[in-house]
Amino acid sequence: MVDAGSRTAWDTIGQPIHFPRSGLTVKNRIFRSSISGTFDAYDGTGDYARLNWEEKFARGGTGAIISSYVPVSLRGRIYPRYAMIHNDSTIGFWRAVGERVHNYDCKFIMQLSHSGRQQDDRGAENRFRVGMSSTSRMDSFHGLLCEAMTKSQIDEVVEQFGLAARRAQKAGLDGVETHSSHGYLINQFLSSGINDRTDEYGGSLENRARFLREIIASIRAHTEGHFHLQCKISAIDANNAIYPFEKKGNVLADSVQVCKWLEEDGVDAIHVSTGSIFPHPRGPAGDFPIDLVSEVYDPIISSGVRGWSNAKIFRSPIFSRLLRWWWRHRRGPIIEGINAEHAAEIKKNVSIPVILNGGMQRASLIARVIDDGMADAVSIARPLIANNNLPQLFAEGHDLAPRPCSFCNRCLLADLKYPLGCYDLSRFDDDYDRMIAEVMTVFHPSPYETQAD
Amino acid sequence: MPLPQYPLPVWHLDPLPPVEAKLRQMKRRRVFIVLLVLAALGLLIYWRYVAEVPRDFSKIDDHFKYGSIGSEYGNGLPFRIWQVLPEMFPEYLPKNGLTGYESLGFVVEKDKDGRPLFETPIGFSRRRIAAQIELISVNCASCHASTYRGVPTEPRQVMLASPAHRVDLLAYFGFLIRCAEDPRFTADNLMARIEAKGGLDPIERIAYRSIAIPRTREQLLLMSGKSKRLFENPSGVGRIDTFTPYKLIQFSYRDPELLRPGNTDLPSIWNQAPRVGMQLHWDGNNTSIHERNISAGIGAGASPTSIDLPRLKRIEDWLLTLPPPKWPSGWKFDQALADRGKPLYLRYCAECHGTPEGGFKGGKVGTVVPLALIKTDPERLMSYTYDFMSNQYSLGTDQDWRFHTFRKTDGYANQPLDGIWARGPYLHNGSVPTLRDLLEPSDLRPKMFYKGNDVVEQTRVGFVSDKDRQGDEIFQKYETSKIGNKNVGHEGPAYGTDLKAPEKDALVEYLKTF
Repeated sequence: MVDAGSRTAWDTIGQPIHFPRSGLTVKNRIFRSSISGTFDAYDGTGDYARLNWEEKFARGGTGAIISSYVPVSLRGRIYPRYAMIHNDSTIGFWRAVGERVHNYDCKFIMQLSHSGRQQDDRGAENRFRVGMSSTSRMDSFHGLLCEAMTKSQIDEVVEQFGLAARRAQKAGLDGVETHSSHGYLINQFLSSGINDRTDEYGGSLENRARFLREIIASIRAHTEGHFHLQCKISAIDANNAIYPFEKKGNVLADSVQVCKWLEEDGVDAIHVSTGSIFPHPRGPAGDFPIDLVSEVYDPIISSGVRGWSNAKIFRSPIFSRLLRWWWRHRRGPIIEGINAEHAAEIKKNVSIPVILNGGMQRASLIARVIDDGMADAVSIARPLIANNNLPQLFAEGHDLAPRPCSFCNRCLLADLKYPLGCYDLSRFDDDYDRMIAEVMTVFHPSPYETQAD
Repeated sequence: MPLPQYPLPVWHLDPLPPVEAKLRQMKRRRVFIVLLVLAALGLLIYWRYVAEVPRDFSKIDDHFKYGSIGSEYGNGLPFRIWQVLPEMFPEYLPKNGLTGYESLGFVVEKDKDGRPLFETPIGFSRRRIAAQIELISVNCASCHASTYRGVPTEPRQVMLASPAHRVDLLAYFGFLIRCAEDPRFTADNLMARIEAKGGLDPIERIAYRSIAIPRTREQLLLMSGKSKRLFENPSGVGRIDTFTPYKLIQFSYRDPELLRPGNTDLPSIWNQAPRVGMQLHWDGNNTSIHERNISAGIGAGASPTSIDLPRLKRIEDWLLTLPPPKWPSGWKFDQALADRGKPLYLRYCAECHGTPEGGFKGGKVGTVVPLALIKTDPERLMSYTYDFMSNQYSLGTDQDWRFHTFRKTDGYANQPLDGIWARGPYLHNGSVPTLRDLLEPSDLRPKMFYKGNDVVEQTRVGFVSDKDRQGDEIFQKYETSKIGNKNVGHEGPAYGTDLKAPEKDALVEYLKTF
């Protein structure tokens, strides 16, 4: 426990964390959790704004940045304009990103991702394809279509993860993270609420975990030495959070077992989150901004067969309010540290470090979960978008940023249509232009900007 | 300067992206489901509120007892009105110790505790016509089903296709008319009774209050106006004036000469196969069983267009081979006496009435004996006129079944005597209570007797007719002095009325075996 008299929260948070297997050391316990932003070229070629974006957090004192959602293949993208790592030509861009954040003694861990069926906007390249998944059942929220992967497709994707990790290593990055949570492809295999296969990749937990374990083996096979590898896991699926008639999915005991296997497989850390869809009432835990969703949902309307009906619900004065109420009700009363108990249970069962995700922005709370042995570090997204320099504020003795994140989730939804940033007007004294100016800072400096004489 | 024209580049539409294809498929499915739901709804509405649905029965005897022959449109009453009338107007029913429609002689099937098994007596069919309204009307069994028993303490045995010797059909119609004429026959009063029984849905309630009750009253009053003359010479139990209702209601006759009453005993209709080709009806005016049946259906209330031929045919086919009831074992019977009666029967009766061995066919069976020879009551013969026959031919002229074989005759037809013990009273007008009486000259036959008792007189053969009551039940008096009721004829040496008493007894004993 933090002793307010003798120790500050930063004494805990500011301690470096060392991952013994990979040898990676991060200067403090604050990880920037994965957040994307449509900053890149349409086809996934990285662009300068992404460098600016990641630099914001490195400059602000974050110990390590977990990258944006980085697809390992074109079919695995969730949105155009997210930088990919699907071929060797992308290595240069990611090297540039790594170097930019390394300038601030900040580590950069690439989140290797595959959407599976959860493709919000599959893009022109995938126009005539449906998502790949463990199942042929469409996703329940947007009605995104999919087909169950064949064995050869599974082998191909496993290989793609391995190759992507190799590229990340070649780019000089500090490690990789498998995005095995939030309802993306790996989670679609892990989840008993989604995976309805009858082959060796479905049925028992061991079978459902096979895909992830093959990916880990592939990463190990394609990388040199013991490249840092962590896995982001949904501790509970709560697959029925929005539609109670859906199956519940994996429970904590399932995830604990998966984490034990991951430790056996040589994984360096577990990153604990929640939910088998994204967004989910419990992840990112917060509000459901019905005013914004009806405005920004357009690109997804045509992506799934339930897009139009969702859009109508979002625009309905009654149903949108009911949905907001339901969303908050299914989340429960806790936002900050919503996954702490789950992380603690996992940590009790593994000896590798555990990183806790979920609404953490109070130094004292972060220090407490670390001191109490519930987790070894925390990953933060929205509070860092609100205050890019949150670690510095903690170091300066702030328990909470002067203008903290309200967990309104407007950043999350705005990303569908607008540049990623904080869209909580109340944090800018209701000055819209000031808020937008802050959001647009990501595009500056530009390599083509003419400097004033 | 004119601009040069270029051919447009050829292009084609993209194939549908998977989501669009799925959306179209879902739309088609939705449209299909909507259409399916609409069709189901339409079907439900049609079935509940529009379709004409007769009550059908898989067992043929149930169909005979309660099945529809299409008479509901003519004589039919909305069932729920029909159901409450005896409770509302019991004063218009016969005071004979029985209640409800049973007091009119209809057979009510009961359980061992005496509770009715069904909502209606035998002889009533129901057909739903619209807005859940079921019409109820008489069917074949109303005139051709009855009961018998050996002693008053025995339970009544139902016999089908027999003469309905206890039914007073005219009194039934009279009851309905008198109810309608009563000022209490109002929507408010009837609805109070009907609703007390429950089970009305809102549409049914509106239909009953606004349409069914006023229309029923109007229909019954119209029938009242047309049928007054019928009640001047009531047919009484077990009988019917076959043609006068036809004349009054179907053809609106007014001329008293043409309206000569013709009350006749209700006949049995079992074992029809031997009767094919015979001169049917009491006066033998038709040789086609099918036409005779259609005519009877129309007489029961069916219109030429509403008569339900398939359901009528089902009964017709069943009746071809339906056997008459046997003289019950254990009842009084002397085989030796019957054996002595057989030669007498062969000598005096067989030529005209057939024999069991001969299938009741051949000889003069089913042919007309001129009135000058048979000399029985002439009224029934006279009531069937050339004029009426001509009018009959105007019925159903657009139907395949239209009448072809009705003919005016000059006498009465010889009847096969199968099941004769259960067909009393005897002669075409039911004027002779027992077979033994029929073997007496008319002077010695009873001038007055009682009808409606279903206890069989086991010596003289016929139903007990010398008692005016039995327990609470009161029977109807029959007087041969009234028009159409004469018990004359079928007498003289050729008819066995001169035989000695023991010979007559033997002859009657032999008839028990038919």
